[in-house]
Amino acid sequence: MENLLISLAQNLFPIFGLLAVGGAALMVASRQAVHSVLGFLFAMLCVAGCFLTLEAEFLGIAQLLVYAGGIVVLFLFVVMLVELTKYKEKDIFQKQTKVALLAVAGGLLVVGGALRNALFGPAAKEALTLRPEITNGAVLGNAQAVSRGLFADFLLPFEILSIILLVALVGAVVLAKTERV
Amino acid sequence: MPMTLTQTVVMALIQIVVLLAVIMAVVPIITFAERKVIGYVQVRLGATRIAGGHVGITGPINRAMWALGRVPVFSILRGLPIFMADGLKLLTKEDVIPEKADKLVFILAPAICMVPAFAVFAAITFFPGAEGLFTFPASFPIVGGLKFMGFLTDINVGLLYILGVASVGVYGIVLGGWASNSKYPLLGGLRSAAQIVSYEVPLSMSLLVPVLLVGSLSFRELSVKLATEMPLVAAVPLFLGFFFYLTCGFAETNRVPFDLAEAETELVSGFHTEYTGMKMGFFFLAEYANMIVVSAIAAAFFLGGHYLLPFGLQSQLIHALGAGHALNQPSILFFVGKVGFLLFVFLWIRATLPRYRYDQLMHVGWKFLIPVTLVNLFIAAAIKFVWM
Amino acid sequence: MNWLKAFNPSDIAGGMKLTGKRFRQVLFTANRRKVPMHFVAEYPEVKVKLAPRYRGRLTMIKDEQGEIKCVCCLACEKICPTQVITIIKGKKEGRKMPFPTRYDFEMERCIFCEFCVESCGFDSIILNHQFELATYNREDFSLGMEGSENMFENSAVGKFSVAE
Repeated sequence: MENLLISLAQNLFPIFGLLAVGGAALMVASRQAVHSVLGFLFAMLCVAGCFLTLEAEFLGIAQLLVYAGGIVVLFLFVVMLVELTKYKEKDIFQKQTKVALLAVAGGLLVVGGALRNALFGPAAKEALTLRPEITNGAVLGNAQAVSRGLFADFLLPFEILSIILLVALVGAVVLAKTERV
Repeated sequence: MPMTLTQTVVMALIQIVVLLAVIMAVVPIITFAERKVIGYVQVRLGATRIAGGHVGITGPINRAMWALGRVPVFSILRGLPIFMADGLKLLTKEDVIPEKADKLVFILAPAICMVPAFAVFAAITFFPGAEGLFTFPASFPIVGGLKFMGFLTDINVGLLYILGVASVGVYGIVLGGWASNSKYPLLGGLRSAAQIVSYEVPLSMSLLVPVLLVGSLSFRELSVKLATEMPLVAAVPLFLGFFFYLTCGFAETNRVPFDLAEAETELVSGFHTEYTGMKMGFFFLAEYANMIVVSAIAAAFFLGGHYLLPFGLQSQLIHALGAGHALNQPSILFFVGKVGFLLFVFLWIRATLPRYRYDQLMHVGWKFLIPVTLVNLFIAAAIKFVWM
Repeated sequence: MNWLKAFNPSDIAGGMKLTGKRFRQVLFTANRRKVPMHFVAEYPEVKVKLAPRYRGRLTMIKDEQGEIKCVCCLACEKICPTQVITIIKGKKEGRKMPFPTRYDFEMERCIFCEFCVESCGFDSIILNHQFELATYNREDFSLGMEGSENMFENSAVGKFSVAE
């Protein structure tokens, strides 16, 4: 009993990971747009579970809160109102297999290259080592460690990112706004 | 005492079963209380016809009282078994799935709505003490000698967990509305999604006040420190934040006066128009469970939780009387009483306020609550900076 | 900022004060008071106490000798806006005044306006406090009395009541 539970607990990460891949596959394979969103939601929840099994509670919950709670709702909102039954839209969204395959292959090359560099490249040791000095040696929780990273060590990139998001937001408002007569 | 993994799992299972049983018992009682409270507010009697008639144990008393021209005694409890009748009715009704509905999503939606509503309870601390509620006797097979704690888990991001998991519940409503393949449910689902996504912002913002004052996200730590370690001025943002939080809580749980997702006069019954039987019962269970969660959070963070006085005033009492005084001891009764009072407030508001219009709802969410909660957060930050 | 008026805290508090007061009154007095605070009656067991001016079914009144007071002046028949009253004048032994051999009242068309009662110069009819007027058959609505001998009893279809 005990051993079974321990082995189960140790293998939670691959279980969640496989489930996430399954959700992603459902998202890609489904013909019905809302089912795709459901698959995406499932994948997001499983990724949050992956974070939890790695004892990164804050990241896991943030994943849940931001992606599952916010972004996918907006996706769903849009997808629910779009009917993908007309021929024209089918042509746009569902008959681009060749282009899509090419794009995916390109993306795989880039990501694979980055991963290879990160895992086996000259800087691999630096990237894969946890740095306890980030938390100044104090035993702190997840949230504190992440916030120290965001607001102390990487403050400038973080702020620049938020400005980029703000620009996108303003741009969306400008594009969506109609002229008031 | 270090616990083996088996013990941990078995203990958690026991706690989950107890918790679920309590919720499943409390939710029907709230529905009964809702009938009674709204009846009394409207100068009616509410449900009286079950266990309030001619037969049964109370029958002779009732008949004698009627003969005297009076309302029978136990009038508060008359009709009490109606909560069982409600449940039985939902369970035995025919389960209709519309022909043109998306079957998978239609069946999945009530579950998506209900599971987060119940999962949220995992992070709620019902009693913060390390001594637990009681200790299992040593003769118990696996968990003998272990304490039955007043909380399921005490993860260090408990509040975020509650917010995150609760935000998943909106999918049940949206997908239920979409899968019904009918216009009123779709409109209800869309309205609900827009409403919940909008009000999540001021809700989180008003909850940031306690988080800022304490500097932790753990539910247990928050509820204890908010009651015992606050300066007197901290009562100001907590008092304001309580009302902002409660307003957002009403909107998050789709309760009157913000129940635009199921506005009867406009949308028949909103997102669960096409649902029958226990599937609709799941939506109802989720709604009432969410009410309990909102009440529990408000009670724990703003009303002093397991201590007597609300808004952090308990710390003044501790200063005055000393920590050992009887009034300064935490008790689960205080917490349960506060949650019960807040649940009553839910029903009270429902009986008092009419439904707001959709534009009023959105205006007050974006143009009033978000700026005001930001200002409240700023006050809390100033207090943290100056007094703590 | 007009929308903010709907959220005025003092208004909401005022409303909640009122509803809270009602709740308290009914909760604490429902069992004890002879005249309860709540407006509803537990209908089959407890009949509601109607106001004196309540207008129910038409009823003829008897005098002290047990005689029907109606003298067939036909004032009620003339004034009735829906013409539901029909009276046939007759005679009875030992009585000077005319006597209705037949008094018909079609309740299904009656609008309970009480003009008949107001026009009656002899106070011989009233609208009583009976409010359970539903029947299973349409014929049961045509009430009245006929015949010379048993005119105080109900007619064949009738539930026409004579007040004691």
